[in-house]
Amino acid sequence: MPNPLKPEKSVVTTCAYCGVGCGFKAETRAGKIVRMTPWKEGKANHGHSCIKGRFAYDYYIAPDRVRTPLIRASIDDPWKPASWQEAFDYAASAFRRIQAKYGVKSVGAVSSSRCTNEEIFLVQKFARAVLGNNNIDNCARICHSPTQFGLTNTIGAGAASQHFDSILQADVIMVVGANPTEGHPVFGSLMKRRIRQGAKLIVIDPRKTETVESAHCKADVHLAIRPGTNVAILDSIAHVVVREKLYNEEFVRARCEVKEFENWKALVGSNKYAPEIIGPIAGVDSEDIRKAARIYASGPNSAIYYGLGVTEHSQGSTGVMCLGNLGLSCGMLGREGVGVNPLRGQGNVQGGSCLGSWPHVFSGYRFVTDYATRSSFEAEWGVTLDAEPGLRLPNMLDAAVAGSFKGMYIMGEDPVQSDPNQHHVITAMKNMECVVLHDLFLNETSKYAHIFFPGSSSLEKDGTFTNAERRVSRVRKVIEPLAGLQDWEITVKLMNAMGYNVAYNNPGEVLDEIARLSPNYRGISFALIDRVGSAQWPCNEDAPEGTEVLHIGKFPRANGLGAFMLTEYVPTAERTNDKYPLLLTTGRILSQYNVGTQTRRTPNSMWHPEDVLEINEQDAMARGLKSGDWVKLSSRFGQTELRAKISERVNPGVVYTTFHHAKSKANAVTSDLSDWATNCPEYKVTAVDVVRTNGRAAASVQEAERPRIEELEPVECA
Amino acid sequence: MRMTQSFSPGVDIPVMALDRIVLMANQIGDFFAPYPPERRAEGIRNHLRTYWDPRMRAELLALIETGGAGLAPHVVEGAKLLLNETHSKPGYYGPPKA
Repeated sequence: MPNPLKPEKSVVTTCAYCGVGCGFKAETRAGKIVRMTPWKEGKANHGHSCIKGRFAYDYYIAPDRVRTPLIRASIDDPWKPASWQEAFDYAASAFRRIQAKYGVKSVGAVSSSRCTNEEIFLVQKFARAVLGNNNIDNCARICHSPTQFGLTNTIGAGAASQHFDSILQADVIMVVGANPTEGHPVFGSLMKRRIRQGAKLIVIDPRKTETVESAHCKADVHLAIRPGTNVAILDSIAHVVVREKLYNEEFVRARCEVKEFENWKALVGSNKYAPEIIGPIAGVDSEDIRKAARIYASGPNSAIYYGLGVTEHSQGSTGVMCLGNLGLSCGMLGREGVGVNPLRGQGNVQGGSCLGSWPHVFSGYRFVTDYATRSSFEAEWGVTLDAEPGLRLPNMLDAAVAGSFKGMYIMGEDPVQSDPNQHHVITAMKNMECVVLHDLFLNETSKYAHIFFPGSSSLEKDGTFTNAERRVSRVRKVIEPLAGLQDWEITVKLMNAMGYNVAYNNPGEVLDEIARLSPNYRGISFALIDRVGSAQWPCNEDAPEGTEVLHIGKFPRANGLGAFMLTEYVPTAERTNDKYPLLLTTGRILSQYNVGTQTRRTPNSMWHPEDVLEINEQDAMARGLKSGDWVKLSSRFGQTELRAKISERVNPGVVYTTFHHAKSKANAVTSDLSDWATNCPEYKVTAVDVVRTNGRAAASVQEAERPRIEELEPVECA
Repeated sequence: MRMTQSFSPGVDIPVMALDRIVLMANQIGDFFAPYPPERRAEGIRNHLRTYWDPRMRAELLALIETGGAGLAPHVVEGAKLLLNETHSKPGYYGPPKA
């Protein structure tokens, strides 16, 4: 018998999971994927991979994959299969009818960081040029929107300052609100390699994560802060830098706005941010704050890596600015081994951010209010564009609840499961007259949708992803799209159905349009990537094959100088009290990915069949709990049931869970507070209580959720 | 062919609940609070002008016109700059320019 796993064909492509964006060879036999092999030439992963990219690919042939468009008049009706053209015409007439009745701005669109740059760009073009408004957002809104805001304000570019390999020159690694060994495992391994070589490690995280202590990894300082005190602790570290004069005056004088530096010094240097004051507020030893500051400032090369533990707070943007300020003050920018680097959650969060899928900016973070930028898009697209910012995703939902927003095109997103305060999101969804959902599966949001476009997985389409180090890599079609169309084709055909004539022969032509309209992508094309493998933006005349390290010599701001922002600590309104005495925070695990749409449909779920609630022994004893008990987790917003796990990883007063399983309903509990600047939800801090329950209802749900492996055998493609 | 599009206003209902508008405006005010008064007001203005849908700004200004209940005084000050046409300068990133 011939070996059924022996591949006949191999295509180099990019992993669709986290922001590391590993290069893979997708190998097929008889039109089906038989193996994913990490690509040795991949510049983000150098031949390494994790168990998600390597093994969790079978979701693309999961039995519940939708292979035909679906429509229905009301969300109470059953779905009816339709032809593609029927579905496009239905969506187009519904959007136009709603706009005629409720106004041009009563509809909008949301794109996804799981989609390619070309698709993200086309969805924002759909909103701006076809719907005629700026109601366009993407899922970076709920993860890294504060990164774009906070870093642009301080160092001028809303992106990682370094390439991943830069960490091999770092003497000090500071990880804030991230857990790279689990969330970004291939980068995590690179980090561990540098730690084995002697680099010092500082971790700021409420939980004793695997990054704090695991094989080949032990933090020199772990600041196990109370959730919600990031800004306080970072200002206190800055206080020590200022008071002990650990800052790099030469760098600041040469590279920064000195007046803003003096203002910043006065604020963070004031007594209120002394470690002895902040330590008790943040729940850490004041001496550890001093130690962290001294290690970071002494470098000589100190690099900051951070994640959603910084951004997903009511002061998320302020927290990011704190990191920008800190890097500037100690001169830790503009060379290898240093920098301020967001670790992006999804494969293309950076691309989603770069390419104008925001209500207030075009690609390159240029304001829609700017006449010259807007004119360049109007000339290319042949329409007059809205000169005012549109609604952000949470604003769209608020507006739907209020009754002023009535229709939405959602590509590759599941707001009902992903967005905070689920009850509010469902009310918003039910209020809309037309929800068009474009996805692989009938997800939670599909319950409230009227039209379903069956999308293509990243194995079934061409395009590019931009990873967390600004690296643009090719996504290549390995197999034919199961429902017949690639995602970019679906969006183009919807635009056509709405009367906007545009045609592309392939997504390479969309990338060419992106390059014409976006200074940082000017030199990027399929041809360049095919030639050099991948390229980091900015890629232009000055850097024809891209740029590894940003901020050498000057910052991309009008005056070329770094700017310190004033970062006062404002405690979140979400507080513990007698009724809700614990703080819930959330995170991810190695084998699963985000809300689990992909990984839960693969045998990877064997490693993590359910979400559990980690609770400290002291809090567990007070509630008579032991590991394995079912508990009711409740907040002011809602409740859910999970199994408890007694854990030393969380301090007393803090509980922790993952959000990989829809039935765990973590977002039934999370608060509706959000970042002051970007409305990024405050997922990381919710006051809760935990009580023991018999949990029978939840138990049966969790059982049903476990994938039945026999169903995951390859099925016939349509 | 150049297509033209009209931006007709929606029906006459608030774009979103007023308490959300007040909460968000006050949060913005909290961030800019440590800047001196003139810069604080300008920072709030720039943020509202570049990030908020005009209907959200209109809802905020309508509230201010009727007394601004629930808004911090310096938020009112910053938002009022939106009314002054001479302040319609381009949006910017970075510290407030006053």
